Amino acid sequence: MTEISGGARLAAFAPVDNTARVDAVVRRLTDAIVLGLLADGEQLPSEAELAAQLGVSTVTLREALMALRQQGMVETRRGRGGGSFVRVPQEAPALLDRLRDLTVEELRDLGDHYAAIAGATARLAAQRALPEDIAPLRRTLEEMAATRDEAHLRRLHGRFHIEVAAVSQSARLTREEIRLQADIGPLLWLAHTGEHGPSAQHRAIVGAIQHGDGDRARELAERHVLDAVEHLIELRLREP
Amino acid sequence: MGDFRTLPAPGTVAGAADTVAGIVEGVFEELHQVRDAVVRIMGPAPVSGDLAALRPLLLPRLGGLISGIGFIAEPGLLADAPWFLEWWQEGPSGEPVHLVRDMDPASSAFYDYTHWEWFAGPRSGDGHTVAGPYVDILCTDEYSLTLAVPVSGERGFAGVAAADVFVRRFEVAVLPVLRALPGPAFLVNRQGRVVASATARQLTGSIFRGAPGTVSHPCRELPLSLVAAQLPHAP
Repeated sequence: MTEISGGARLAAFAPVDNTARVDAVVRRLTDAIVLGLLADGEQLPSEAELAAQLGVSTVTLREALMALRQQGMVETRRGRGGGSFVRVPQEAPALLDRLRDLTVEELRDLGDHYAAIAGATARLAAQRALPEDIAPLRRTLEEMAATRDEAHLRRLHGRFHIEVAAVSQSARLTREEIRLQADIGPLLWLAHTGEHGPSAQHRAIVGAIQHGDGDRARELAERHVLDAVEHLIELRLREP
Repeated sequence: MGDFRTLPAPGTVAGAADTVAGIVEGVFEELHQVRDAVVRIMGPAPVSGDLAALRPLLLPRLGGLISGIGFIAEPGLLADAPWFLEWWQEGPSGEPVHLVRDMDPASSAFYDYTHWEWFAGPRSGDGHTVAGPYVDILCTDEYSLTLAVPVSGERGFAGVAAADVFVRRFEVAVLPVLRALPGPAFLVNRQGRVVASATARQLTGSIFRGAPGTVSHPCRELPLSLVAAQLPHAP
């Protein structure tokens, strides 16, 4: 039997990555803010109290609060009367009204439609991309990573998907993508609230297009849409 | 006699490439007139309103191959508008429509046009840029070619004079030339993307990566080549 090195054993028993727990806390609090469960200006419980309620360590909670501060969803004031306060994004209430107007079945159908377009354009883009077609996509990802402005990030998010569609060389599919972005882009953004910069999914889609891997590009683009819609449906189901 | 010998024979790949070049050069000649007019109009401190003087020149050029035409300013050229297009395109019933685009970096994700090939090409010194085919998500959402030439003023590069040619119209213009050849034939741009095709095996928008049994012939000085089947008796 091969002896396992001490280092590998240590790595195997190392604590589970904290990032996943931080993300889970960020998402939970983001959803609560977007859904209006936490009101604009409301003070959050103390760090120790909130960590205990959520069942995470104070270290994890502090990291999550830092991420929320960066996204402008939480504001921390020091000194007397200080603490962490909720900041509701401007667009959220109107978007939530739109979400309430849709049934779960309608949301699923929107997701099916959009996934079909996003998947088809990504596959064709991978088949037809030249190296110079990848540059604008990379540039948009870099701009997404650089911005701290939520409204700008949302515009770039839309631009990214329209640019992917344009690489497909299909004017019809691109127009359909533009229509869908105008129609449900802001709503889908509700599912991305709390994200900052491009996600690993965005980067993976560009990678697959660059490598000419049409099947993978399609699968990733479909998954990207369906994940967002699944999250929207979860938000919808928490509403009356 | 000397002139006669340099003319490619009709019905040959070289002859067809020459005919296609003539069609495309016709659009570039229009752009040279736009370029010269911009240079005439521009004073030492131009503003966007000055470019309205181009309209009598631009509007009659719409129709035929050209679906959109105008001047796109180098950012910072105009004192009153950092990003500016004097751009006219055909409306739904063929009437000229002035393109109004949101060029405000604070509200548009699409304001920066300097990365587009039709701007970057002339800006980097390319005399005759043929950008595309591409889906034009900035102006028309149509599948287009954009032909562009640099405009230079006293202070250097001032912007580009450009014209949109919808791919479907370009196809109507060049397909008879391609079909007159005895075998399958298609046109590719500098990057190898098919611009117009007379064969279902290599469609517009796809990438041609070379194939045995084909010959490629440049369309004069333009960034376009005609690819055709090599005939058995050809040298």
